[in-house]
Amino acid sequence: MTEYSIAELMAVCLSREIGDGEVVLQGLYSPLPMLACLLAKKTHAPGAVYINVSDSIDSDPDYLPFSSADPKLHKGAVGIIPLCETFDLAQQGRLDLIFLGAAQIDQYGNTNLSVIGDYHRPKVRLPGGAASSFLCAVARRTVIWVTRHSPRVFVERVDFITGQGFLDGPGRREELGLPGEGPKRVVTNLGVFGFDEETKRMKIESLHPGVSLEQVRENTSFELIVPEEVPLTSPPTEEQLELVRRMDPYGVREIEFRK
Amino acid sequence: MKEKVTDLKGALRLLRPGDKLALGGVGRNRAPMALVREIIREEIGDLHLIGREKGMDFDLLIGAGLVRKVSAAYVGLEEFGFASNFRRAAERGEIEVEEHTCGTVISALRAGAMGLPFLPMKGVFGSDLMKIHDDFKEISCPFTGERLLAVQAIVPDVAVIHAQRADRYGNVQLKGSLFEDVIMIRAARRRIVTVEEIIPHEEIKARPEETTIPYFLVDAVVEVPRGAHPTSCYLCYGSDRDHMAEYAGMSRTPEGFREYLERYVLSVKDHGEYLRRVGGD
Repeated sequence: MTEYSIAELMAVCLSREIGDGEVVLQGLYSPLPMLACLLAKKTHAPGAVYINVSDSIDSDPDYLPFSSADPKLHKGAVGIIPLCETFDLAQQGRLDLIFLGAAQIDQYGNTNLSVIGDYHRPKVRLPGGAASSFLCAVARRTVIWVTRHSPRVFVERVDFITGQGFLDGPGRREELGLPGEGPKRVVTNLGVFGFDEETKRMKIESLHPGVSLEQVRENTSFELIVPEEVPLTSPPTEEQLELVRRMDPYGVREIEFRK
Repeated sequence: MKEKVTDLKGALRLLRPGDKLALGGVGRNRAPMALVREIIREEIGDLHLIGREKGMDFDLLIGAGLVRKVSAAYVGLEEFGFASNFRRAAERGEIEVEEHTCGTVISALRAGAMGLPFLPMKGVFGSDLMKIHDDFKEISCPFTGERLLAVQAIVPDVAVIHAQRADRYGNVQLKGSLFEDVIMIRAARRRIVTVEEIIPHEEIKARPEETTIPYFLVDAVVEVPRGAHPTSCYLCYGSDRDHMAEYAGMSRTPEGFREYLERYVLSVKDHGEYLRRVGGD
């Protein structure tokens, strides 16, 4: 078995979330989702419609650019449509999947990308949630990626809800009339997580090879639902690895892991 | 048709202290950087900046002390991390940050462009953005009763975009991603377009289907080759990652940022001298 990095495993995990024929959008500063979309289209989901924040449809760039709004993503695309039109589709219920990041995430999958501390006098002013508050509500489902699974990221309660998860529990999204189904999966450097059907609380779906349950518990400030037997995340296939490395010769996928 | 060609200084006669200023481009792509640097040299302050997902353009103006308020969904330097001036100013309470989500910036500008006081949209409920916005109101659909969000229009006093080409009357050929550039031009009271190249009017007339903004929606046209530097301009140049890295590094401290500002903005007489200083062609 060829060795692979966590970034490569995460990109492959994210790509598994994309169904063939689905409409998928990936936002600004999202190297792993960008790679996941390109990979899915070249493997199990050739019929996926891949839209990115450069406004291109079905990009096939020569190499993974550093900025996910880079015009290099026009390469190989079939068209360019303004983001407002993609958002119109999302409001119609025609956007199946959006990938979003999180500086904090809680047990109900609510995410914070805005501030640590008080909104008006923050301890840390983060760059902002980009499309989160809109797309977490209207996209059919949300997949969240976190490159540093730690107790400061996986918190009891987020300081500010930028992206709506299941809010304070079952039924709240429906009460507010949010049309999307909410967060489906959380992919981190330690494992893959989902949400319990009934309680809407976060549960472990699989742990990456070499990661212990104890390690995940230590790095999560709330109680995770743990299945009786914790599966191991399937490693990337040789084909997936080969494609990932060919599509990203400059190692953009590793940037977030280097700092 | 009136000639609209002027220089950066001339165009800035349209911008006044206290204005709501919308800037085109997204992230480090097609931001009107040459004009931003000129605003700093002219010291036009107390600005309210408007944009979707912004980076170094907003950060420079904030660091120069010219910004009162920011309305945007993201202000950061992508893989280079925080926009440090934005972060510092927000944490010290020196600027008001009205965080939007991409969809609400777009709806607000679209409403402005449509001549409507607001636009209804879906989403946002349940997010804490609802707690910080007087310009978001819950309404119900008059036909179905569905819960909707009304987003108040944004009418920028001035919108500035950087495009590939225009003629001297302001017929603009914008290529590649439009981002919100056309929408903000249509919404704004006064409109400045900086371009890589001014082309003959005959070329516009030969291909009218390529005109994305017609002359009567433009007040000033400025020719500034590489005017988006260090951000990218589709078909013309990519983003200058070395320069972005230099900026990200220097702006991490206020002292470093002052040094950057002095070196690349304040001690530079005009855009031509800037280009010589940053090197390349």
